[in-house]
Amino acid sequence: MNPAPVLSEKIKRIITCTGAAILIVSVTLYLALPVVALFLRTTPDLFFSTLSTPEVMSALFLSLSTSVVSLGIVILVGTPFVYVHCRNDYPGKVIIDTLIDLPLVLPPAVAGLALLVLWGRAGLLGHYLSLFGISIAFTTLAVIMAQIFVASPFYLRQAKSLFEQLDPCFEQTARTLGASPLRIFAKITLPLTANGLISGAMMTFGRALGEFGATIMFAGNLPGVTQTMPLAVYVGLEGNLAVGLTISILLVIISFAIMIAVRLLARWEAVNV
Amino acid sequence: MKQLLNTRQTIIIGIVCGLLLLTAFFAGCTSSTPAQPATTVATPVATPAAIVTSAPETTAPAPQETPHATSTTTTAPAAVATNSTPAPVYTYSEGNVVAFTAASLKGASPALAAGFEQMYPGHHVVFNLDGTQALKTQVQNGAYADVFISASNSYTTELTKGGYFVDGTVKPLTSNYVIVILPATNPGKIASLRDLANPGVKIAMEDKTVPAGTATIACLANLAKSTYSQDWNSSVFKNVVTYETSEPGVATKVSLGEVDAGFVYESTFTAAPKDTYLAITIPKKDNYLQTYTIGVMKQSTGQGAASDFENFMLSASGQQILTDYGFRPISTS
Repeated sequence: MNPAPVLSEKIKRIITCTGAAILIVSVTLYLALPVVALFLRTTPDLFFSTLSTPEVMSALFLSLSTSVVSLGIVILVGTPFVYVHCRNDYPGKVIIDTLIDLPLVLPPAVAGLALLVLWGRAGLLGHYLSLFGISIAFTTLAVIMAQIFVASPFYLRQAKSLFEQLDPCFEQTARTLGASPLRIFAKITLPLTANGLISGAMMTFGRALGEFGATIMFAGNLPGVTQTMPLAVYVGLEGNLAVGLTISILLVIISFAIMIAVRLLARWEAVNV
Repeated sequence: MKQLLNTRQTIIIGIVCGLLLLTAFFAGCTSSTPAQPATTVATPVATPAAIVTSAPETTAPAPQETPHATSTTTTAPAAVATNSTPAPVYTYSEGNVVAFTAASLKGASPALAAGFEQMYPGHHVVFNLDGTQALKTQVQNGAYADVFISASNSYTTELTKGGYFVDGTVKPLTSNYVIVILPATNPGKIASLRDLANPGVKIAMEDKTVPAGTATIACLANLAKSTYSQDWNSSVFKNVVTYETSEPGVATKVSLGEVDAGFVYESTFTAAPKDTYLAITIPKKDNYLQTYTIGVMKQSTGQGAASDFENFMLSASGQQILTDYGFRPISTS
């Protein structure tokens, strides 16, 4: 049986609780209030009426489609790449490790400029492509390439840590039973890491959706072709605030949906492991 | 077992104290920022660019745009990034004038800063350079400025109607015509304005919210009416591959050789190093003369220094600097 706490200990407890409460409340408000302000600045009528304007619709469709394509490419190409990278030792592995993280620390505007001077028609590789009539800059393809460049680290790092932390006994057992590496990858590794990979994929999608700097530098800003939602917000808030607010709110809703989905997945995984 | 407070009560008291402290903190904060028209709960002096949920990144135009070393221009992000996002928060400090300035004055800004300090020793000017539409939005959402230089009469009128300027200080500053620039190698083989409508030509233009963009649209409309046809006008617009958010952004795309032509102000062409661009002039009768205005902001806490800066800009030395950088004096229109 515990003795009753002394008064000084109670005071200490109150102070600690106050400190913790202030911390939690202030951080929550700092993150939540800007979003709340967004919603309060417009009215539901204005929101729904601007929602159906061609610029908003085209930006929404373009953003979603390019992000989905970018995500698809990152998953299809990135997953085998990371698996091979993790399971094998090869010269230069450390460099590749660093390069995977590079787009994370590179300012997106720099990424956009770099892509432009490489793939633009006056670019290092681009000027060869333009001889064949292929032009990449200022097209929807450029949007996808920019999104892949800046968003892929989210998925690749997640996949890398998942594959590395996966208990090797599963794969080794399968190997002793005669499964080929490809079969192991498909039937053992992937199902075991699926949930983590999906979270990584969602973060990649969110990042690709919100990409601004690289897009405007490499792909330009052309409504219907390269004007994604973040670009439309930037242009809109200087000309037509209502449109800017509507697209911002749309982005918030989509981002929240992604976050909630990731949380639910994590919880489901924790329950089901 | 007797306790003064159980755990639940302690937590509740902690939260209530925390909320009270927080309210006091916010109340203290909002009372010390400059007066703002917006009545949202959002943190004070938040620029609208902060709305984008994933942090927007600044874009950096290619380095050849700023050949001059700058000492008194704005902090690095705002000076380099003409498509700027959160502008630094300025407050008035002794002798420092904060000038929100249309991006097309970027090349002239170091010389203007030096000239101002020469005429009024001890005073400094800090330029926030961006598209006029971006600056206007920042000011309307509470950003601090002593002086506002606008590239568009309509935005000046909008701000005047909003009561942002000190009465009587809004004056025409300088003017600029629109010109077509081409990369030095002329990849699009453009020889005349008519060639702009050729299929496959790539053109960069400012967005219609940017003053240079409205000027370009007007020029093209005039040209279509007087010389070329409406079909020519539509073909030119079909060739546009990007609507940039500031005038220097167009110049960057042209200088990189990624587009065949771009519409900018004459000052950009004149101030650029020799042989950076080729240019095709637009006849004066079809051209759109963009008039820049300067005004002292009512919110300025350094009205004296702000007026000094306006006087300098309107004086012979200020006007001479602008002319050197390709702007046209207001008297010729």
